Amino acid sequence: MVSNELILGALLAVNVVLYASLGFAALGQRRRKVEPSNLKEAFNGLELALKEAVPDLPSGFTWEEALARLRSSGVKTQAMEGALKSYEAYRYGGAPLPDLDYHEVVNVANMLGRTIPRKRGGGASFGR
Amino acid sequence: MGAEIRDRVVSEVSKVVVGRKKETELILTCLLARGHVLLEGVPGVSKTLVANAFSKCMGLQFRRVQFTPDILPLDIIGGFIFNLKDREFEFRKGPVFTNILLADEINRAPPKVQSALLESMQEFQATVEGHTEKLPSPFMVIATQNPMEFEGVYPLPEGQLDRFMVKVSFHYPSREVEANILKRNLSSMDLNDVRTVVTAAELDAAIREVDDVTVSDDILAYLARMAEATRNEGSLVLGASPRAMVQLLHCSRAKALLDGRRYVTPDDIKTIASEVLTHRLTVDRAAALKGVSRNPEAILTAILDRVEPPR
Repeated sequence: MVSNELILGALLAVNVVLYASLGFAALGQRRRKVEPSNLKEAFNGLELALKEAVPDLPSGFTWEEALARLRSSGVKTQAMEGALKSYEAYRYGGAPLPDLDYHEVVNVANMLGRTIPRKRGGGASFGR
Repeated sequence: MGAEIRDRVVSEVSKVVVGRKKETELILTCLLARGHVLLEGVPGVSKTLVANAFSKCMGLQFRRVQFTPDILPLDIIGGFIFNLKDREFEFRKGPVFTNILLADEINRAPPKVQSALLESMQEFQATVEGHTEKLPSPFMVIATQNPMEFEGVYPLPEGQLDRFMVKVSFHYPSREVEANILKRNLSSMDLNDVRTVVTAAELDAAIREVDDVTVSDDILAYLARMAEATRNEGSLVLGASPRAMVQLLHCSRAKALLDGRRYVTPDDIKTIASEVLTHRLTVDRAAALKGVSRNPEAILTAILDRVEPPR
């Protein structure tokens, strides 16, 4: 015969495991861990991060407008402006995708959740 | 080379005109894009001075015509005059045969005269009694008009407005700029001090380079979405025409070149969209009565905020 305490303990353990996994899944979704492998993916991630962190940014925003908005909120964007120029030459000018360091783009995306005052939701971020 | 030309021109014009950097850049952009400019502003805000200084530093031939209610097409295009010596009619070219024609107070001339300019502006040629002559290259009309006048004026019809690539509004200067204008007028600096800073070869090369500026398919699709949005906008009865969008495209290319780039970005388009499109949009008066904005610039800004550019 299995004692009631044992059944209760087992049910408790199952509950802990279930809710912990659900919690981790929700957190993972919320933080949207992305491993960009090139400049293009880094900017795609930054776009997602911007849309989440600055919900009042109009859907017609351009990169320059977004950066101006970030600068006015105190985010330092100077270090990623060179990367943006190279990305734009690739995206709009047909230049080959440059093999550049995109850490600064990722850093800005990671910074968004902490720096921009949000109206709703959490910030997106990248894992490296 | 584009950025260097822009810096030289802006710096030279700034010798005699204070606080009109953006306006000077727009006129230069328009010249490189083979367009025409409408300068709008109340009297005394340096519209004519900017036009004068600009053509002088470009080293281009400049003619000014003061438009009045009694002016005739002949006074602009020219006409056939009987030569008593040779005993035959000969074509005498009017002031339109120049590089930069300043049509001062264009809305004071009757529609017949305004429309006489249409062929010159669209096809860069002039026809009188079946005789067609090509205009010098480059050719640009810089027209001015005062938006506050209602008596004795003939507002430009939509078809004529559509021929102007950009409309540049000259607002009153800020307090700081005003003080600088007054200070500048204490010195003896005038138009004679403006030097030619761009050679004809440089200008010709820059105009040709505009054609080499890349426009990606995504940017073209963005322009098409923008055009569609203006035509579907409930508060407008007249959205952007295909000609307007073509002119926005050319203007964006010239702007990209002047910014030292060989490709157009959505920022190029958004930065000049207001100057290229606003004067071609017609607001629905009925919608305006329902409390919708009557300001085409505000309507266009809302449209640009909605249309998603390629990123």
